[in-house]
This record gives sequence, C-alpha cells and structure tokens, in this order.
Amino acid sequence: MSLKPAVILLLLLTGGACARRKAAAPPAPQPAAAETAAQPAAAEAPSAPPEPPLPYELRLGRAVYRHYCATCHGETGAGDGFNAFNLDPRPKDLSDPALQKAKSDADLIDAVRRGGAGVGLSPLMPPWARTLTAVQIEQVVGYIRTFRK
Amino acid sequence: MPLKRLFAITSLLFLAVLAISPVKNALRPYRSLQRQFARLAASRARSQAAARAFQARPVAIQQIWLPALNNTVDRCTTCHLGVAEPTMAGAPAPFQFHARSTHTPADLERFGCTSCHGGQGLATSKEEAHGAAPGSGGPMIPLAFAEAGCGRCHGAEQVPGAEILSRGRVLMDAAGCLACHGVKGREGFRSDAPPLEAMGPKTGGEALRRWLHSPREVDPNATMPDFHLTDVQINQLSHYLFNLAGTARTAGLVQAAAKEPAGDPANGKKLFAEARCLTCHTVEGKGNGSAPELSKVASRDQAGWLLAFIRDPHAFNPRTRMPQYGFNAAETRDIVAYFESEFRDFDAPKDILDPIAVNQSTAEAGARLYRQLGCFACHGASNEKFGPDLNGIGDKRAGSLEFGNRKDLPRTLPAWLDAKIADPRSLGQGLKMPSYGFSAPDRRALVTALLAMGAVPVPEAYRSAPAAKHVSLPGGRVGQIFDRYRCLSCHRFGDQGGDTSTAPLTFEGSKCKPEWVADYLMLSYTIRPILTDRMPVFRMAREDAALLAQTFETFYRDPAIPDDPFKDKPREPEAGRLLYETQGCRACHILGAGGGYFGPPLSEAGKRLKPGWVYTWMKGPQKWRADVRCPDYGFSDTDALRLTAYLDTLRTAPKQPGVAK
Repeated sequence: MSLKPAVILLLLLTGGACARRKAAAPPAPQPAAAETAAQPAAAEAPSAPPEPPLPYELRLGRAVYRHYCATCHGETGAGDGFNAFNLDPRPKDLSDPALQKAKSDADLIDAVRRGGAGVGLSPLMPPWARTLTAVQIEQVVGYIRTFRK
Repeated sequence: MPLKRLFAITSLLFLAVLAISPVKNALRPYRSLQRQFARLAASRARSQAAARAFQARPVAIQQIWLPALNNTVDRCTTCHLGVAEPTMAGAPAPFQFHARSTHTPADLERFGCTSCHGGQGLATSKEEAHGAAPGSGGPMIPLAFAEAGCGRCHGAEQVPGAEILSRGRVLMDAAGCLACHGVKGREGFRSDAPPLEAMGPKTGGEALRRWLHSPREVDPNATMPDFHLTDVQINQLSHYLFNLAGTARTAGLVQAAAKEPAGDPANGKKLFAEARCLTCHTVEGKGNGSAPELSKVASRDQAGWLLAFIRDPHAFNPRTRMPQYGFNAAETRDIVAYFESEFRDFDAPKDILDPIAVNQSTAEAGARLYRQLGCFACHGASNEKFGPDLNGIGDKRAGSLEFGNRKDLPRTLPAWLDAKIADPRSLGQGLKMPSYGFSAPDRRALVTALLAMGAVPVPEAYRSAPAAKHVSLPGGRVGQIFDRYRCLSCHRFGDQGGDTSTAPLTFEGSKCKPEWVADYLMLSYTIRPILTDRMPVFRMAREDAALLAQTFETFYRDPAIPDDPFKDKPREPEAGRLLYETQGCRACHILGAGGGYFGPPLSEAGKRLKPGWVYTWMKGPQKWRADVRCPDYGFSDTDALRLTAYLDTLRTAPKQPGVAK
C-alpha cells in the first residue's frame, strides 16, 4: 500500500496554497506607488484636455471664479475684466506678488465673504457669504492663489 | 511504525493547511496600510486625544452599507482611510482627504463610494476593488470622466459643479444623438433637421453636392454630420431629393416668390440688422451659431425659396427654431435682395443653383440609400430611431465591445466610446455612424455624459429632483402666437424651452408690468448691454403683443411673489436710494449716468419691474436663478422694501441710443 503519492500530493497542495497566497499578495504597499495608481487611469483617458488638468478643487474654484469674479477681476486676476473699467476704484490686481504675499488665505476669505465694505475697502466689491458656500469661497481663494506671478 | 509516522506527518500537514487561511488574512495588505495610516494620521492630528484615537483604532475591514441604494456595500474606506479626515489633505494615496464638493466628504455615509466612482465596493484588494483584475466586475470610472458619477443621480442637463458632464449633455442634444439613438425617457426627441420634400426648390445640384460631400465645409454651423458619401452615393441622393417634388404648398410658395420683383438691398441691410438675425445666425462667425451661417447663403439657396422661407419658415420645417417674423412682402424682398447682393460665394460656379435633370432609376437608388443610411432618423416625419439605444451604455463591459482593428486602443469602455465618437467607422466593417468632428475636450464631455447612463436605475430617493417644475403651455390663440414666434426656442418655460435667453417666462406675470411687456414685445431693446444673444425684433402685431402680456399677467405668476409688498408698510424711497448708493449696486447696474454694465440697467426699473418681484429678488436672487451673479446681500425686510420703493420711483430712462421708434 503506497501512501507516498498521497503525501506528495498533500505536500504539493500545501505548497500550491502557499504559492497562491504569495501570488495574490501585492507588493509591499508604498505610498508613492499608490499615488501613481490614480494617474494611469487619468493618463489612459483617451481624450484628456491638452492643458495639464487642474486638481478637482481648483477646477471648482476656477468655475466659481470665472462665473462670479472674472467679470471685474479678469480671467487672469489682473483686474481687467470687462466691467472693471466702469468701477472707481478699479479692482485690485490679484496676481500682484505683493498682494499675494501680504494677504493670508484668511484675509482673502474674509474679503470675499464680507465684501469691500466689510473690510474697509470699496463697496463695489459685494459680499458673497450668502451666495457662495464656505467651501466654495475657500476653493475660489485657492484658485486665486494660482495667479501668483 | 510507518503508519504512525505517516499519521503524524499527515496531522502536521493538516495543521499547516489549516493555518494558511489565518496567515493569509494576517498578511492582507490592508492591515499594514491601516497601521501605516494610524501612524501618519497620529502625526498629523491636531490634538493628543485625536492622535490617540487614531492609534487606538482596531485593524479591521471598514464598510459603508447602504440598503436603500441598491444594497450597496462599499469597503473602499478600508484602505482609503483619510477620505473624511481634513487633516489628511495632501497626504499620500490612499490616505488623502477627499476633494471637497457638494457631497464630499460630508455625504459619504449617504452615498458611499462606488455610486459615484464605480468599481467593486465589496472587494478588499486594490486590483479587485478598482476593477483592474480580469473578471473582477465593472472597473472604476477613470478620473478624467469622474463627473459621470454625478450624472447617475442628477438627470438634469445642467448639473452644478459638473461642468464637463453638463457640457456633454448639451452637446448630445445639439448634435442630435438622440434622433438615432433611443434613450429611456427621451424617446420624443426630434432633430430639427428639415423634411426633404422642399429640398429641390431650395437648392441646386452643385450646391447640394457640396453640402452632401461635407456639410461643415459649406456651413461651419451645420449640425448635419459627415457621412463620408462616395460620389455615386451623392449622385443617387441628389436625384432622390430633386425627385421629391415638394409638397404642393411649399413648392407653389417658392415658385410664386421667384417671380416677384427684386427688392432694395440697402433697406434689406437695415432690416437685417434691426431684426437681430445675428443672435442665432452667423455672418463670418459673428452670432451664437445655433442657426446657419449666412455669408454665402445666396449661393446655397434659391432667392425664391429664401423669400418664401422667411415669410413662413414653419411651412417648410415645422420643427425649426426660427420664428416667423412680421415683415411685410416688400420688406422680405428687401432682405433677400440684400442676401443676393452681399451674401454670395463669388468663387462659386455660375450653375451652382441649377437643378438636376432627374433620372428615375438613380432617384430610386437614392431612395433606398436614404433608408439604408438612416437619413430618416433626422429628416423623416416619424420618430423612428436608426441606431442602437443607449440605455445602460455607461455600464457596458469592455469585453462585449467590438474594437475591430484598433490595436492602438486600451480595451476599456471610455476608450471605445471616445474612438466611436472620434472615428466611428474605424471600429469595424459596415458601421454607419457618421463623423461629427468633435474636439478632444468635447469628446471627453460626451464620453462623460454617456458613462453617466447606468444600467441599474438609481432608487427614486437618490434621484435629484428637477430644478424646474412642469408648467402647462398656453393653447388656443395664445398657443399659436407662442408657436409663431417660437418663444420656447430661447426662453425657459417651467421645465421646457431653450436657455439662450437669461429670462425664463415661467413667472413673467409676477415679474414685469404688463404695459412694459407689451411695449417690449413690439420693440425689444437691449436690456443687458453685455449680452450678445438679443431678443429679435419680431414686428409683432400690437394685438398679439397685448394678448401675450395679458396671458403672462393672468396665468404665469408665482404665489411666492407678493402683489403688493408695501401692504401696511411705509414706502421709503429716499432711504432706499441711500442704500443703493452705499451697497455697491452700481458696480453692476447702470443708473443714470454711471454704473457697470453687467446687470440690467435700472434707470427705468419702475417701468419694467413689479415691486413684488424686486422685493422678492432682494430677499435672495438665487432662489429664482441658482447661478445668478447678483449676490444675496441678506437684506432685512425693511431694507429690501426701501430699495424696492426707490427702484419703483425710477420710471423714465434716458433715450436708448440707436433704437428707432
């Protein structure tokens, strides 16, 4: 009575089970590797736009900026929107490095929320706190930061 | 004793086999990820207590179970541990904080993850969860098309915060995709392509050949796609079209018009500008492009046809968005004379508008081709679809798609959809879909809109309610007037109508004073100087204008807008004027000499607007149009009433320059 084949079979099975575990286990998780995981998905997208895509929140900020702010502040924040020339004082140049440096995010958020009159400047800049959500205002300030020259 | 030894070895092996499963489980990657997360989150925590809480978290599979959302179970947060932790903003994947949007991360417990992102929620290994492993169910929606997830619950065309999806939906309607492809709930969609019966009297053999060869080369605004027709096919279709004699009525109209004397081009030029044809039509690209380019129209269309068409466009194409203007016979002759003198293709051959001598057998071949190519889906009288329906296309498995010889494409649904739109016939033999020439960003928007069409319906409770309620359209005489001037081509009316105009008519009776509405319909002037889409001057009859104004006044009102906001309250226009001056309203509004030209000028606000509307608007403009730029100042009732009282005193405007009464 030969049980050897059975033993060998059992050994092989055990080995196989262990091997499968090894095969199924992905390589040790590395944050860097995981981070790139999202990008192939975006890169393989056949019709990604030619400009480098903005992060989602900046894109939301950009949409808010273009809709509500660019009218006066201009597409690039230079204070040259088509309605800027009807305003006295003119809108600030948001891309000005000195302004970007002088104002913290909290300052800018406050100015957007309360408007010019609320922060002791021209009332021609309206308050947006009731029109935009707190997150939208943070996002638009995030987008304004991309104007930094 | 070999048997005993054997028994011992077997027992040991058996124990080893039993141990495999627990060992396997202990070595699952999510466990080390969770330990890694605990360290990282603790180091980023803002307080000692929070840091300790992160460290104290047991290592375990996390899941969100949503019985009400098709019994979804999402275990994504087993690895994506920081999605709802603001301190993890900017942390490396998979621990980073989720981008903030309307629903994220606040509504994580309500929507889970896969309802927006796709993928396999039950899986706990990365490959299986992301759907990258073969046979692991549907894959995730690639980030470039992530807004498709929004579209699964948000069925409206415009979805706030999802500009790519919204653009895709607009493009789908504009390109007429649904004329060929059925979609549940949109079965009634019709292209506004013209019926072909009147084509013979309209154009000429060479002009038609050029059109069929490439519609966009003839007219950049053309909605008709390129069917890549061969010369033989073009010839057959041309004979078929010229063989359709034209319904007796329209053919007669064209013949009669062709015999009329020529008009005065100079007066035609004036009328053309006054009527604001360039809102929809373009001349060398100026205009919104929703109607044909006119710069060479006299070399495309017969003069008699142009004359008859301008007089009654709806007789030629019942589905056209063009209104029927109230020009008299001589005025239409002047307009066509202007076209004939200036809007020509001076390089075109002299015989470009000569008709074809019809050969019956070629025409019959053309008639068969008309069926085979599916021309009827857009041009036909019935609502017959030609292409496969699109229901559930967003959940189609890549394995079921035909890629043909396209070895260059990744085997994914988004890649297939993109290729199908970019070059439809490259994906196999005998495919009939025409080419639309969409740009890469437009294709991305379209693919997003298509991926939003899921196979499994979202439960009612999760479906976003449409922003606009249904409003009944008027019937009878008023309905005829609506139809004649095609009000719904541009104006929203409840959940119907176009969005070219910024003024919905749903509650016009609560908003504008009827005398002003009647005057405006008779002679529309520029309300917002910056807008390029202007209300046409229809030459509307006074009784029609009065009847429309009365209809709005009687039926199209909103009970939330009070008739008299001043009831039992004082009118304080002077206090209102002070508010107006100090609140920065003039940044956008013209009033008197100064002011910005973004919002509507208010110099004659009291003549145009009802006080109830002004008051309600002041209390929150966004309630009436979600994306309106007029900010909500949060005025108190008193201040809102003061401003209303002030604006109501403004009755006379300085004369509009350039408007002839």
